Amino acid sequence: MARTIKIDPITRLEGHGKIQIFLDDDGAVEDCYFQIPELRGFERFVEGRPIEELPRIVTRICGVCPASHHLASAKAVDACFGGQVAPLALKLRDMYYHAHFIHSHIAHFYALAAPDFVCGPGCDPAQRNILGVVAKVGLAIGGKVIEARSQAQRIQTILGGRSTHPVWCLPGGVSKGLNDGELEEIRPLVANLADFTQFSLRLFREVVLGNPEYVDLILNGPYTLDVHNMGLVDADNAVNFYDGQVRVVDFEGHEICKYAPADYARYVAEHVEPWTYLKFPYLKQRGWQGFKEGRDTSLYTATPLARLNVADRMATPKAQEAYEEMFATLGGKPCKALLAAHWARLVEMVQNAEMLQRYCDDPDITERDYRIVPDRITGEGVGIVEAMRGTLTHHYTCDENGICTSANLIVGTTNNNAAIHMVTRKVAATMIKPGVEPDQGILNLVEMAFRSFDPCFSCATHSLPGRMPLEVALIQGGEVTRTFRRDPS
Amino acid sequence: MVRRLRTVVLGLGNPILTDDAVGVRLAGAVKSALGDRPDVTVVEECSVGGLDLLDRLTGYERAIVLDAIRTRGGRPGDCYRFTAAALRDTVNLTNVHDANFATALELGRALGHALPADEDIHVFAVEVADERTFGTELSADLAPRYPACRDLVLAEVGELLGVPLASSP
Repeated sequence: MARTIKIDPITRLEGHGKIQIFLDDDGAVEDCYFQIPELRGFERFVEGRPIEELPRIVTRICGVCPASHHLASAKAVDACFGGQVAPLALKLRDMYYHAHFIHSHIAHFYALAAPDFVCGPGCDPAQRNILGVVAKVGLAIGGKVIEARSQAQRIQTILGGRSTHPVWCLPGGVSKGLNDGELEEIRPLVANLADFTQFSLRLFREVVLGNPEYVDLILNGPYTLDVHNMGLVDADNAVNFYDGQVRVVDFEGHEICKYAPADYARYVAEHVEPWTYLKFPYLKQRGWQGFKEGRDTSLYTATPLARLNVADRMATPKAQEAYEEMFATLGGKPCKALLAAHWARLVEMVQNAEMLQRYCDDPDITERDYRIVPDRITGEGVGIVEAMRGTLTHHYTCDENGICTSANLIVGTTNNNAAIHMVTRKVAATMIKPGVEPDQGILNLVEMAFRSFDPCFSCATHSLPGRMPLEVALIQGGEVTRTFRRDPS
Repeated sequence: MVRRLRTVVLGLGNPILTDDAVGVRLAGAVKSALGDRPDVTVVEECSVGGLDLLDRLTGYERAIVLDAIRTRGGRPGDCYRFTAAALRDTVNLTNVHDANFATALELGRALGHALPADEDIHVFAVEVADERTFGTELSADLAPRYPACRDLVLAEVGELLGVPLASSP
């Protein structure tokens, strides 16, 4: 008989979310380290494999954003084969990705962000979840959320052939197109998603903006950083998730650089610290300046808010209205209030839905010329897309037979590693003061900081019991003086 | 004749993350040993969690979940068995990106989804040694103990399904 055990959530993913806060002799925060594990050996795993297999393999890197890896990888592989892609395939890939964005953003907003605002940041942790949200706003809204998420998933399944782990993209295009029957199935789903994105904005206005305390927390809490912003933009500097150039804008709104994916290595480098395996990307031309804010910093964030900060506009009209309302309410652009990323996600979803509608009305979308078979191998490619949680870069090289010789990835959350580290320290310094006994409340305040980034720390694909263990240790004079852990109940 | 429960068997895990694949392997073993059974659906590779699991479980009366686990002081190859009732304590806070399993189940039931009762969601989990390195083989710590582990899980899953199950030669 297999052993029966009581599940302690802390044990499932041991080692995640370890935060060490070092205090000085007076008890004030001196330093803070946020350590998380990282998966190993991907580069070695793919070396020696046919390069065209990589888009199918990389979906396994992450259980949360398989589509982002699939598409970034496909773009890198397209480039390894000379870079010609069927125009229809570009539309279909983009269409698929808009559905994926909605699917992911719904989960983050309703399951993770909304509990802090609908239930309140001070709410009992046992109620601070999607169940608490549904208890407050009603079962009907819970049903809408689940329905919209399933519809976004269904669109991905229709387009890509599978609900998760797509095997759809091939060098030069995709393996299947969209037929008339499938398009007719997608149309009503898209119409409902368009309504749902507007509904989500209304809910945000009512629940969050209607509460001055929440607005104050967003704008004036410890959740701001003077670092730069990164995101993809199209030729008009409008927000783009699948294609375009990477634009970096500083926290005062000035463009620092704009580059094509193939040039990423000239603009971004990665710093290594001895206390963590996860690297810290920074703007290469400024050099590593340490974990500091301000004009000279070389650090940036790559989040939904950063994407809206770097863009001059949204790509669709209703999203543009939502974008203007957001920045007008938040005091202008760029916005440095990290918690505004939750609002930015909702604005992005509006664009996602409008773009889906646009593709549904595109007379060419059901055509059959969805692939150009490559006729040469050029040996190197970089693919960049915006993953939900930040700019995602895949860089491959292959030999003359198309066998992978190297792979380098900078994933979405890694871009934000330094910012997560810094804001954690900022929140800790706000919470922990000499002479004031810290309490369990620090856990949620720290969580709110890193939750705004929608981080995807490790790419474990299953979730039993399915939450991220978090431990905060206070260290003074070399000794651990207090430890806070999330209670299992 | 006793009516058989509509059952779904899910192999959770990442097939290219060394020991993380153990649930996927076990689901493959169940599928091979079971053959065709109209009342049982085996999803060998189910790399989703949270709210997405609702779609996988809706419409079934029983679920058998095969997964990897790490516990403090556990030995690679140790097998554990529990039901979703043991996860009720985790209905709070959240996963890194999603609702957790227990929360998703409670939400699904509140919304009227036809889901198995907690007591009918049987989880078999195997203690793993390395779930962070990309690779298609089990780790040297788990590999020698895997056959015994697989046979134990097959026997207990077979008991649940009312049919003796053994690994293919």
